[in-house]
Amino acid sequence: MKRAAWLALVAAVVFASTSRAGEKRDFFKVGVVTELSGDLATGGNVTKRGYDLWAEAVNKSGGIAIGGKKYKVKLYYSDAQSNPSQGAAAAERLITQEKVDFILGPYSSGVTIAVAPVVEKYKVPMITGSAESPLIWKQKFLYTFGTIPPVNFTGAAAIRTLAGLSPAPRTAVIFGSNDTFSKATAEAFEGAAKKSGIKVLKFNIVPAGQDLTPLMSAAKVLNPDIVAFGGHDEELIKLVKSLRQIDFTPKALLMHYGVTEPAFVEALGKDANQTFGGAVWTAAEKTKGKILWKDAPTYAAAAMKAFNVPADYTQAGSSAAGIAFEVALEKIKAAPPISEAKRAELIKALETVDVETFYGRVKFATEGDYYHANVGLNPLTIQIQSGKVAVVGPGQSAEAKAQYPMTRWDKR
Amino acid sequence: MELLPQALMDGIMLGAIYIIIAIGFSLVYGVMHVIDFAVGEWIMLGAFAGFYLTEWTHVEPMLLLPGVFVVFAAAGYLFQPLIHRVLSGHRGNPLLMGLVFTFGLGLMFRGLAQTFFGFYSHSIPSRFSNGSFFLQGGGFSTTVSSVRLAGLVYALAITGILHYLLKHTDFGLGVRALAQNRDAAGLMGVDNKRTSAFVYGIYVGISAMTGVLIGMILSLSAKMGPDFTIFAFFVVVLAGMGYLAGVPAAAFLLGIIQSFFLIYLDPGYTLLAVFAILYTILLVSPRGLFGKGV
Repeated sequence: MKRAAWLALVAAVVFASTSRAGEKRDFFKVGVVTELSGDLATGGNVTKRGYDLWAEAVNKSGGIAIGGKKYKVKLYYSDAQSNPSQGAAAAERLITQEKVDFILGPYSSGVTIAVAPVVEKYKVPMITGSAESPLIWKQKFLYTFGTIPPVNFTGAAAIRTLAGLSPAPRTAVIFGSNDTFSKATAEAFEGAAKKSGIKVLKFNIVPAGQDLTPLMSAAKVLNPDIVAFGGHDEELIKLVKSLRQIDFTPKALLMHYGVTEPAFVEALGKDANQTFGGAVWTAAEKTKGKILWKDAPTYAAAAMKAFNVPADYTQAGSSAAGIAFEVALEKIKAAPPISEAKRAELIKALETVDVETFYGRVKFATEGDYYHANVGLNPLTIQIQSGKVAVVGPGQSAEAKAQYPMTRWDKR
Repeated sequence: MELLPQALMDGIMLGAIYIIIAIGFSLVYGVMHVIDFAVGEWIMLGAFAGFYLTEWTHVEPMLLLPGVFVVFAAAGYLFQPLIHRVLSGHRGNPLLMGLVFTFGLGLMFRGLAQTFFGFYSHSIPSRFSNGSFFLQGGGFSTTVSSVRLAGLVYALAITGILHYLLKHTDFGLGVRALAQNRDAAGLMGVDNKRTSAFVYGIYVGISAMTGVLIGMILSLSAKMGPDFTIFAFFVVVLAGMGYLAGVPAAAFLLGIIQSFFLIYLDPGYTLLAVFAILYTILLVSPRGLFGKGV
């Protein structure tokens, strides 16, 4: 009797797995691996808002049109817990257990680098709507794409904008927090500064999450024109507070991602003003979208309505990742579930995507150091002015004049 | 040389923050023999209490500290019996039980905070945050931040008050007796449960006030806890587990090492240096800097 029960159980499992292999469904299973908890949960949840908004908009429009029929999308989340190994495990679970058709990728570069080999192994396409480290693209993963250009592409533009200000900055101290993205940001700042003739007086990579006041004291003695820092939201807030506490106002304070987050202005108030940052999209950008949202303001309004939080470029990039999949799927007419052969075809289709969206142009590089990163966008230099994000460069994109040199902290 | 006074000053200010995150932690270990890995989360909850109270009342956060202390001390007092229950009875290895329990507690607090307070970082605005003094004399100069100076004064005041409480009051006598020998103290009329609950309340109250100060000096977020737990643990191990008097010296030493590394040496190796020094001291003197730890 006991043996019969065991046999029945085995038979049930075998039957269940065979029926799964031949499953039929009328919706796309979209896996999402991102940082929903842990140190990077702030950014992870920004990507989540972007992915959710895309899924909601697609489903509202009826779904993705494949051969005259529309298929809705369903997101399957798996938390990377801000930990690369957990991210890799999360991706593996989504692929092997949930049998997702494709994946929307993590917020951070560190987790993306850990997830990329997993999607490569199982041949499941992934687009990250956030990761910016050039290291991801240098490894030339066939199945990994990204909608945000690498930080050496965007960060360098911000330095070039600063170099063009008057009086021209001559010296800089550059720091980066010790994580994949922040380190790459600092290195991008350093490389661009040297090319622009700005002397780098000090360059350091520091442990993440540290109180950097002593380091800023050392910078104060060097009295550089530019203080540039690669880090994440909380670190940026701490850095501005440190500068304020030691009463050092450089001519320009440059950061990157995080400056455009509403929390930066909310936490620092007047002290957030005049901080420069790099971005690839703002809510006021003049874009012309063909799919889901007609331009940046329309997207920003939809995002505000859905989450009551202003959208930044990471959220927009995450929604654009969904759009890129949409375009490629429609092109190859891949109905769900997508077979391995069709997924290989999907990669080819993604490589040919060239589409104008609310986020700007999405076009993935197919060779070189930016392999599979989106190179269709123009990097923007932004500055916080009166608590709002204003584009101050490059020239043709500028919507406001850069406020430079910075006003002393005590004169604000 | 030009930076030496500033390096020392920054180190002392950093040390002051370490004192206030570690002193209650040390007290609780000394009396209750609990390594409370939820210390960072008590700090985080206190920081959020300060943040919301400042936002709602627009009162200077320094003035809110006594209120925050009272509320959190009461919460700690009411919470302690739960920890006592985990540590008592017939459970093996109470030290490990306490550690695991508080670790879990920390995780739960962090998760709840992320759910209720969100993921964003904040800052507590204070009139002290904006000012700084420039001190000059004898060829040396240094900038002192008002808010960090307030933190130093607070750290020294807390140390002084705790010292007085432990050395000059009957309550302190009971606490010290408990720390030395729980059974003998019980026989002499010290109520273990009640005294431990008071000690835990004081610790939670101090940690919450510390959170408010950290929110003023640095920033606050639901995920801030673990960094402070690690440093509290560092300081207490360096001072000697449960040896309260060693905490200020250990905290200042860590702060100054960190400051010197950040300024003079490679900032990338700051934490490595802190670990290396901790390891060396423990190798030479396993009971902490003064050899008086448990």
